[in-house]
Amino acid sequence: MKRPTFASLFVIGFLGLPAAGLAQGNSCLDCHKELDGALQAAAVAFAQDVHGQFGLSCRDCHGGNPATDDVDKAKDKSFKGAPKRERIPEFCGGCHADAAKMRGFNPSLRVDQLDQYWTSRHGQRLKAGDAKVAVCTDCHGAHGVQTARFPKSMTFPWNIPQTCGRCHADKALMASYLLPAGQLEDYRASVHARALFDKKDLSAPACNDCHGNHGAYPPEVGSVSGVCRQCHPSAGELFAKSPHKKAFVEIEAGECGACHGNHKIEAPTNALIGSTAGSACIQCHEAGSKAWTTAAELRSLLEEFESGTASAEVALDAADRKGVEVSEARFKLQDVHTILVSAKNLTHGLDLAEIRKAIVDGENALAEVEAAGQKALAEARFRRRGLVVATICLALLAAALALKIRRLKEKRMAS
Amino acid sequence: MRRRSFIDVFFGGSLLATAAAFLYPVLRYILPTKALASSQKSVTAAKVGELPPNAAKIFKFGAKPAVLVNTAEGRLIALAATCTHLTCTVRYEADSGTLFCPCHNGRFDLSGAVLSGPPPAPLETYGVLVAGEEIVVARKS
Repeated sequence: MKRPTFASLFVIGFLGLPAAGLAQGNSCLDCHKELDGALQAAAVAFAQDVHGQFGLSCRDCHGGNPATDDVDKAKDKSFKGAPKRERIPEFCGGCHADAAKMRGFNPSLRVDQLDQYWTSRHGQRLKAGDAKVAVCTDCHGAHGVQTARFPKSMTFPWNIPQTCGRCHADKALMASYLLPAGQLEDYRASVHARALFDKKDLSAPACNDCHGNHGAYPPEVGSVSGVCRQCHPSAGELFAKSPHKKAFVEIEAGECGACHGNHKIEAPTNALIGSTAGSACIQCHEAGSKAWTTAAELRSLLEEFESGTASAEVALDAADRKGVEVSEARFKLQDVHTILVSAKNLTHGLDLAEIRKAIVDGENALAEVEAAGQKALAEARFRRRGLVVATICLALLAAALALKIRRLKEKRMAS
Repeated sequence: MRRRSFIDVFFGGSLLATAAAFLYPVLRYILPTKALASSQKSVTAAKVGELPPNAAKIFKFGAKPAVLVNTAEGRLIALAATCTHLTCTVRYEADSGTLFCPCHNGRFDLSGAVLSGPPPAPLETYGVLVAGEEIVVARKS
């Protein structure tokens, strides 16, 4: 959590305002803690608020005089009270859009959030008089505001889907805007959500990574690919060179989204390619067409290669379990894996010759791994046979010993 | 052959066969020529002078690939060579001095940190020690 720096405390002290509040107590908090409901909650929540941690107090946002216990005097001419909802962006922007003010607290913090907000769909609608849309406090909270780096913050990556979903998963609210409300549910079923929630991968995209945060806006069809390319540049570069690029522009299909979807983006498998149900290709290509046949061939090539890779891995695992050293073969299998993943990615470019070449290279490498795997399994079989032979020999030895002992006894008896 | 001679031959033969049958696999197991992949803590990655400046070498560390980089300044750096996205093998690009994953264009700097692309986590870094004529790479933990 961020702590006030010496420099920020110096600036605060120089400005005098917050320091005065701190030094002379805070009658706002003292009174509000004795109240009920939202009026009390605000005072309680402020104990965890990042603004308080930087030395700011109630008066810095709401005005008034917290140095006096007299309510009438506390609400002096400077008292602004709670801003109306439609005034909140300007209210927060009073400091957050002021580079000179923000520099004293966090010089690296951006100060264009307010400008961005006015470009967002939320901001545009607010300007048009719709006070139901999201304002600063809906996403950041009002009196318990935390930095986005604090895991309990509403804007911490793995909390963002829920923060946006508070409105965007509200069917009644979304219906009033003629918007769907299933995005949160779809996102939770996506590969991105699994990375974010299950693997705790904070680099996995949440809502704001694709839509923007303060400037949140639904991406236009033409910009979807630009959004995805922020993290998937190679797929984008390959697609741009593919015959699909021109065709998608003509039919106004969102490049990546047309095959992968948008919120419910599942981990791509070979099933996404081909001529059977579940394939993205058959959305546009008719059965029997050249592209349809090519898609089927591509699927077959990839499946065969992937299946061979999986079999080789199974053989190595089996040999490993039987105690045969196979690290050299696993090292080679890593090359095969790299070629397989690259070949799958090459499907974005649809250069069949390039894909075939990659798969041929991969199959050559795979043949070496398969041979090593079979050799390792043969070694394991040899050892097992050796164990059987050793056991038989042991049994024979035991029998010979028994006969020898019997003969010695007979000899002793005879003498 | 008399019964006593037969038993002696049978006994001696069985003893020899048993000794051989036991000793061979025992020796094969006791004297493995290669260390098990999972237990390998260090490995000789290269010989001193093998890598020119601003060049790299992929080497086997356990069962997985690792990369030894001799920077343009002559500093030796070793990292895991499996991309943290979909575990493809990364390669050193001399012109940018970075590690590049050919599968989805992920890029890492020589501290292992992600510079661009889809990798979700940095590459593991290893310790490098020059011991005589050998460059030894070891896991840090």
